Amino acid sequence: MHSNEEKLAVVLEMSGITPPAEDQEAILRAFSTGRELSKLIFSVAQARYEEPALIFSARV
Amino acid sequence: MSTDLSMNSSAADAASHSHKFLTIADAAAALRDGSITSVALTADIVEKATALNPALGAYVTITGDAALAQAAAADVAFAAGNDFGPLQGIPLAIKDIIAMKGAGTTANSRVLDPAWGAGTDAPVVARLRAAGSVFVGKSTTSEFALGMPDASKGFPVPHNPWDVERTPAGSSSGTGIAVAAGLALGGLGTDTGGSVRGPACVNGHTGLKVTFGRVPKSGVVPLAFSLDSIGPMARSAYDCALLLEVMAGYDASDPNAADVEVPKYSELLNGDIDGLKIGLPIPYFFDHDQLEPEVRDAVLSGVQQLVGMGATSKEMALPYAAEAKDANMLILGAEAYAYHRNNLVNRWEDYGNLTRPTLARGAFYTAADYAQASRFRSMWSAEVAKAFEHYDVLITPSAPSPAQLVKDMDPSQRLVQPSYTGHWNLTGLPAVAIPSGFTASGLPLSMQIIGKPFAEATVLKVADALQRVTNWHLLHPPVETLYATAA
Repeated sequence: MHSNEEKLAVVLEMSGITPPAEDQEAILRAFSTGRELSKLIFSVAQARYEEPALIFSARV
Repeated sequence: MSTDLSMNSSAADAASHSHKFLTIADAAAALRDGSITSVALTADIVEKATALNPALGAYVTITGDAALAQAAAADVAFAAGNDFGPLQGIPLAIKDIIAMKGAGTTANSRVLDPAWGAGTDAPVVARLRAAGSVFVGKSTTSEFALGMPDASKGFPVPHNPWDVERTPAGSSSGTGIAVAAGLALGGLGTDTGGSVRGPACVNGHTGLKVTFGRVPKSGVVPLAFSLDSIGPMARSAYDCALLLEVMAGYDASDPNAADVEVPKYSELLNGDIDGLKIGLPIPYFFDHDQLEPEVRDAVLSGVQQLVGMGATSKEMALPYAAEAKDANMLILGAEAYAYHRNNLVNRWEDYGNLTRPTLARGAFYTAADYAQASRFRSMWSAEVAKAFEHYDVLITPSAPSPAQLVKDMDPSQRLVQPSYTGHWNLTGLPAVAIPSGFTASGLPLSMQIIGKPFAEATVLKVADALQRVTNWHLLHPPVETLYATAA
């Protein structure tokens, strides 16, 4: 199991963001809370088969 | 207007030490009976705004000369018998993420291209200009309507005029402060998760988040395109109605603008709420352990006053309210990151120290997270629509606590603290925050009234009915003590 620090390093490398050392603590907190939000959203079983609220209309 | 005399002593003290503050409606009447001119009103407000800006940080730019020219034009029009409506000659604040001719737009950031929006009015500003309004200046915003102030970046740091050690909330901080402190009679804010209602809540006035699409949002630096809205902020619900009837309506420049008829909102505010059905969503909104009792009690007291005017109220539940707040935050974060990604890669340190980690959170969501939050959004919107089959409005607190001390605020806690506003951006519904009293220590309290799609008239009517029998919205901070600070 990778630590949040290790996961964060991978995600930052993929995103191209290179925060300085002074921002690392805040970024790690943002990473942890962001992933927590994701878990909560996927925990709502009732939403699983909903049509996403993303609208695209074909037009000429 | 009758007044509720039950205000506590701190609030009464604040009121007794105040300057004369006008509502838009009062000023409009005074301009027409000749007891004031727009030039005199504007000059007074520009002078106050300039003197208090060092202490309050309400404005990024004060456009005093242009404002006085607009005011003079309004007076000339009055003298010639040309009346363009209640906003003619009224000084307003324009949030500095909205394009306005004659002033740059900064979004309170070193990152935004100074040429953005230069020389143009956003459609909503153009409508206000055509109605004869006067623009005092560009009001302070949280950086890109998201971050918290970073004094090292050179932009004004906003302060709550009731207690400068406390937050004025964001992101429409400057317009909120300006309305509260009498540095404008009203103005524009934008709301993506509560950015009109939050400042209205903690600064003690009225702020309306409109139905998504009700006001065209082209000419505004986006935060999250599917959640953003532009809303009126003013002392009273009636004043917000006067602003909205000019602001609202279709404009082809915004693909999300709704082609829905614009009522004459102010004419519908008649104080009659007999038979109105109010839903009180108890779980999360009224029983959360971080909801302060003074906040809850003030809201319930307001509801009782509405019941006394003929409304009925019933406790009910909205499922997944906590998750709805999270879904709003996730969608907001993902959409904001998409807008800022390239600048975060190339200009990280140009962003404020509290903005950049907040924006970067969007990098930590996956595409699947965004799609799932959008599924949740559909489901939750349907649940809320079901509730509205039984109620005309829902009422909640606007926030779980009054204005926090800035020194105690932790941006990372925003995700885990309860919040009562983003839910209605998720559903796109209109919601107005109005004063509901004061804490024992004299800080404003606020309640939120939520309505059906495009039912701005209903939420404003309920707010106005309460404001006819209370005076919370007319009280204002003791700004004269701040003149000494500024000096």
